[in-house]
Amino acid sequence: MIEINNLTKTFGSFKAVDGLSLKVAPGEIFGFLGPNGAGKTTTVKILSGIMRPTSGTASVAGFDVAKEPLAAKRVMAYIPDEPFVYPKLTGWEFLRFIGDIYAVPAAEQRRRIPELLETFELAAHAGELLESYSHGMKQKLLIASVLLRRPKAVLFDEPTVGLDPKSIRRFKTLLTDIARDGAAVFMCTHILDMAEKLCHTVGIIYRGRLITKGTVDEVKALTTAQGARSLEDVFLELTE
Amino acid sequence: MLPVLLKRKVLTFRNALLGLRGWKLVKNLLFAGVGLMMLAALYGGFWRLLNYLEGVELIGPMLSWKLTSMVLLMTFSMVIVSSIIISMTTLYYSFDLKFLFSTPLDLRAVFLDKALETVFYSSWTLILAILPYIIALGRIKGLDAGFYLAYAFLMAPFVMLAGAVGIFFSMLVMYLFPSSKTRDITWLLGSLSVAFVYVIFRFSKPEKLLRPDSLEIVAQYIQYLQSPTAPYMPSWWVTKAMVAYSAGNWAAFAVSAGVLCAAAGALYLLLYALAGRLYMRGFSGAQSSPRFKGRRDTLPEQRLAARWPGLRAYLTLYWKDRLSLSRDARYWSQIILIGALIAVYLFSIRQLPLDTADLRSMVSFLNIGVAGFVMAAIGLRFTFPAVSLEGSSYWLLKSAPITTAAVMREKLLVSLLPSLLVGFLLITVSNHLLGADLFVSVLSTFTILVAALAISVMGIGFGAVFPDFNVENIHQLESSYGGFLYMATAMGYLALLLGIEAWPVHMHFSERMGRPNPWDLRGLALCAGLFVALNAAALYLPWKAGARNLERHEV
Repeated sequence: MIEINNLTKTFGSFKAVDGLSLKVAPGEIFGFLGPNGAGKTTTVKILSGIMRPTSGTASVAGFDVAKEPLAAKRVMAYIPDEPFVYPKLTGWEFLRFIGDIYAVPAAEQRRRIPELLETFELAAHAGELLESYSHGMKQKLLIASVLLRRPKAVLFDEPTVGLDPKSIRRFKTLLTDIARDGAAVFMCTHILDMAEKLCHTVGIIYRGRLITKGTVDEVKALTTAQGARSLEDVFLELTE
Repeated sequence: MLPVLLKRKVLTFRNALLGLRGWKLVKNLLFAGVGLMMLAALYGGFWRLLNYLEGVELIGPMLSWKLTSMVLLMTFSMVIVSSIIISMTTLYYSFDLKFLFSTPLDLRAVFLDKALETVFYSSWTLILAILPYIIALGRIKGLDAGFYLAYAFLMAPFVMLAGAVGIFFSMLVMYLFPSSKTRDITWLLGSLSVAFVYVIFRFSKPEKLLRPDSLEIVAQYIQYLQSPTAPYMPSWWVTKAMVAYSAGNWAAFAVSAGVLCAAAGALYLLLYALAGRLYMRGFSGAQSSPRFKGRRDTLPEQRLAARWPGLRAYLTLYWKDRLSLSRDARYWSQIILIGALIAVYLFSIRQLPLDTADLRSMVSFLNIGVAGFVMAAIGLRFTFPAVSLEGSSYWLLKSAPITTAAVMREKLLVSLLPSLLVGFLLITVSNHLLGADLFVSVLSTFTILVAALAISVMGIGFGAVFPDFNVENIHQLESSYGGFLYMATAMGYLALLLGIEAWPVHMHFSERMGRPNPWDLRGLALCAGLFVALNAAALYLPWKAGARNLERHEV
């Protein structure tokens, strides 16, 4: 479970996140929507422990990310929008690195890494240095690394950027599987269609403030548009 | 098109200047102030040297011009080698190149923009370093402000020419072998050539220049002084122009300056023309990665981690660093430079004209400071950048269940062993060469091992206080504010260390000279206490500050 209470983050006089509060239950896929610069990435960075909140709290699986960062990090996985990885490691070595850092038993790593590489069609490139991987391949490798460690909470920041259509479809299936296994999924995305089809709940952040949160149907009901309402209508209406 | 590209650099520089406020401004002013003090100290040294040379009867003026031509020749060679290494990044791997190539800009304009960037980065530190020499030369020769203006005017085509040679080499090599592997080989060759020039220069015993008695015939010496130093090199043209200016020979000045400017103009025209044909092929090839086939073996560190799970985080980071660094030619090729540095160091020790055993032992003690300086210089290149070398991938560690202190400890582990080995090697071999007595040998060996630990800890600590995860190459880190502070602190530490040990060493030499009751036990205890306090501070303060800063650092 992910829980955020009255979270605020300021940079100088600029409030990137302003009094944000929300919860994501185990097994829930939460879509975090908002225009560029609304505060999505800042929120997810605070949750992942790579940024500190100015005030308020954020916890993952009951661990406060500011007070018990190591315990929180052990049970969560984070994938940023830019898949920066170690350029001089191979794909195989990178997954072993993540496995070792997150204490996945060696035998399990040796069994699961080849499976994951197959799943993401990276097996043929597993021995190549990551500097030769494309953006999409790196993204797939990072998603594979998340599956390797079986986290209780997953934080994705624009996870499908750079993925080909086939990989996007596979990613959607995997996301559903991760949630079915009981993990809370927190996903920042611009792809409203994907959020509408995949997420159980969505929240819209605008200028650092959460302006709405609820199930997809609840949020869609907020639009004044006539006829078949979409998440896009609501999004555009609320962030104008 | 080129003015548009240059304008963005001017705007970037202006914005950086305008962004200097508060603590940032104070920090930069302090940095500039200390830099100026160092330049002033260099000026003092050069002034004394040139004053001495100028005072030598008959040949004094010749000597100072000869030395100037050698300094300029060295500068020219260093800018060429630097520009080869730097152009490999600026011309083929800069962050903004993909964007620039996607715009409707003329390819040759992009090339020229990057060529100017290369010349700037490969020459600015050298230009700054020889500035005190030129100012001292002008003062010794009693020349007016016009001399400095003439020098500044000559320097522009001079460094442009040197940079052009390096850029031409890089472009040709990348055209003939368009692959990212070429970059690695060029970096390796660059390090090799710097090491070669350095070793050859030192082994040629340049001190002979200042000792005419070492040449058998005086006429031969004068002939050597009068002969041009590499007459077809631009460094000689600059020297000739400066000599002509100082003699008020305007025609000769105009000829030399004209040749210099014409050569620079011609070379850039040639480069401009060639870039249209050669640059794209090299750039395109540089984007491809060499084939690499990694293995899936279990690594020794992973076997150890299975046995000692408590060390898993350290061992995992260690094998990651070991593999990454061993595959990065930029990093390991620098080991050649360290080899050259050590060879020159030991050669210089061997050449020292020391006659008595006491003098040799005394120099062995003072040698701790020099060996420490070498270790700090190596630390600036390897230990200080260790944290920043995590680069854009640092988010992986920041979001992983590892403390920043553990990351720092692992980086220390990587740096410490080589540092201890280098320190031990430098001190024991030089003690052997100097024939130091047992007391000094034991004291210096113990001290250098402690200093190796302290300097390594300081390197990681300062590296964590001033991390920069966005740099394109290690040189930017070395010449940064943090790198400078690290070196200054390491020097201060070594000076204090020698100061504390000077007293017991004095007692030891008093005993050797037969003075009765030379040992003052209270004095010894005080020195031991100060030694412990100094090292405790050196080990604790930078580390603590680094750990705290890295913990707060947001990516």
